[in-house]
This record gives sequence, structure tokens and C-alpha cells, in this order.
Amino acid sequence: MYQQLFIFGAAFLGSAVESTEALTIVLAVGLTRGWRAPLLGAAAALVALAVLVVFFGELIVTRVPEASLKLLVGTLLLLFGLRWLHKAVLRSAGALELHDEDRVYRQTVGVLRVAESRHDWVGFVLALKGVFLEGLEVVFIVIAVGGTGRGLPVATAGGLVAMAVVAGAGLVVRKPLARVPENALKYAVGIVLTSLGTFWAAEGMGARWPLDFVSILGLVAVYFAASRLAVGLVRRPVMA
Amino acid sequence: MKLARAAISEVIGLFVADWVQSAVIVAILAVGWLAFRRVGGATLLLLVVLLAGQMVWFARAEARRLAARGREE
Repeated sequence: MYQQLFIFGAAFLGSAVESTEALTIVLAVGLTRGWRAPLLGAAAALVALAVLVVFFGELIVTRVPEASLKLLVGTLLLLFGLRWLHKAVLRSAGALELHDEDRVYRQTVGVLRVAESRHDWVGFVLALKGVFLEGLEVVFIVIAVGGTGRGLPVATAGGLVAMAVVAGAGLVVRKPLARVPENALKYAVGIVLTSLGTFWAAEGMGARWPLDFVSILGLVAVYFAASRLAVGLVRRPVMA
Repeated sequence: MKLARAAISEVIGLFVADWVQSAVIVAILAVGWLAFRRVGGATLLLLVVLLAGQMVWFARAEARRLAARGREE
């Protein structure tokens, strides 16, 4: 139960961040050029992503032996999570600019204005590309978080609920969700995915963690402490 | 074609931002695996310390690079 809740939460938070970024692109296209093309583009991307989840999810769960799966998924999750955490540390320390949905929205609108004289496929392709590329991260998070430990249905539910919540919020607000604390969320999700990656990679090697899945909380604490240390160390030379 | 190329680079970019750091992470896991076979469970602590340590080290190194580039510009 506890493990399933953790998997749902990780999939939900990771997917919510990426869905917010995809929504910004769809909104920019829809509000600038009309809704038909971007909605068709987004729908086409979602169908392609659903095929990927079903195909790879099924393949991974049924074909790959559990130990190898844990080692492979753990390694990929570690690489993925540490990449997010690395950026989050640099942003938190002020060494990198914070991600800003308003700025992404303005940039996308700028691209569309330049392309205004062309046909409507520009809006279709932009929405398709935006949703598909951001959605790839959602697909990876859902499969990686849920593929081991028999949690794929729960992880898929987390990803779908996150997408529905973000899409619903976008429908109501009709502007980029700039108030979603995306940078803080990415920081938190980076720590969670890195911890899950470490846990599964070690289990794939044959190790058994003390207290089993509960030890993930210890890993979260260690990576959080290390990331705060990194933020402190990074701030010093940057401020000087 | 453009979309396929963007998708491939996006997939690689999901896991690799800095090739050196990614290689170090994989090397730590490989060392952890070998050590686990000889030493057993105590390796877990070493594995976590090394992974957390490399994160601190690479974040600091990139911040220095960014600061140096900022000064040059």
C-alpha cells in the first residue's frame, strides 16, 4: 500500500511538471492561431505516447527478468533523476536562470507570429512536437517508476491524473500556469527519482535494503542533504 | 524526419546532460556491483555516498564553468 502510494505520487508529480510545459505550448498555439490545429496535434501526440506506454510497458513487465529490469531501470532512473537534481541545485543556487512558463509562452508566440503567413500545419506540428517531446519524459517516468515492483497501473493512473489536472487547470485559466512551483517540483521529483533509481539499481545487483521500501525515505534524506550542501557550495563562488 | 531526430536527441537528453558525469555514475554503479559481490551489504553505504558525492562535485564544477563564462562575456 505504502509502496503503491509512493509510486502514484512520484508519477503524478513528475508528469504534472512535464504536462505544465506541454500545456504552455498548446496554449500559445491555440490562443494565437485558433484551437483546431493544436488540439489535433496534441491528440496525435497523446495517441503516439499511449502506444509507447502500452508497447514498452507490456514488453518490460512480461519479457525482462526482474533483477535485470531493476538494474536497468534503476540505472536509467538515476541518470534521469540526477540530471533533474543537478539543474535544480544550480537553479536553487542562482547559477542558472529559473524555468519560467511565461517566457516560454512569449517565445512560442513569437515563433508563431513569424510563421503567421504560412498554413495551419505550423500550429499542428508545434503542438504535436511540444506534447510528444514533453510527453516522452512522462512516458519514461511512468514506465520506470511503475515498471518494477508491479506498479505500472498505479503509475499510469498517476500520470493520467496529473495530465487531466493540468489540462483542466489550463482550460479554466487559459494562460500559462506560471504559478505552478515548477522549479521546486522538479527539485523534489529529482530527489525522489534519484532515490528510487538508487534503490532499484542496488536491488538489481542483488542487494537487500534494510526495512525494504521504507529505506527510500532514508535515501531521500541523504540526497536532500547532499543537494543542500551542493547549493551552499555553489552559492559561494557565484556570489563572490 | 526533423521530428524523429528531435525525438532521438530528446530521448538521449533524458539521461545524459554531461557525458562525463553520466560515465562517472555508470562507473560508480559498476564498482558498486563488483564490490557488492565481494563485500556484501556494506557496499550500499559506499554506493550512496559516492552517488551523492559526485552530484555535489559536478554541480560545483558546472557552477564554476558558468561563472567563468559569465566573467568572460
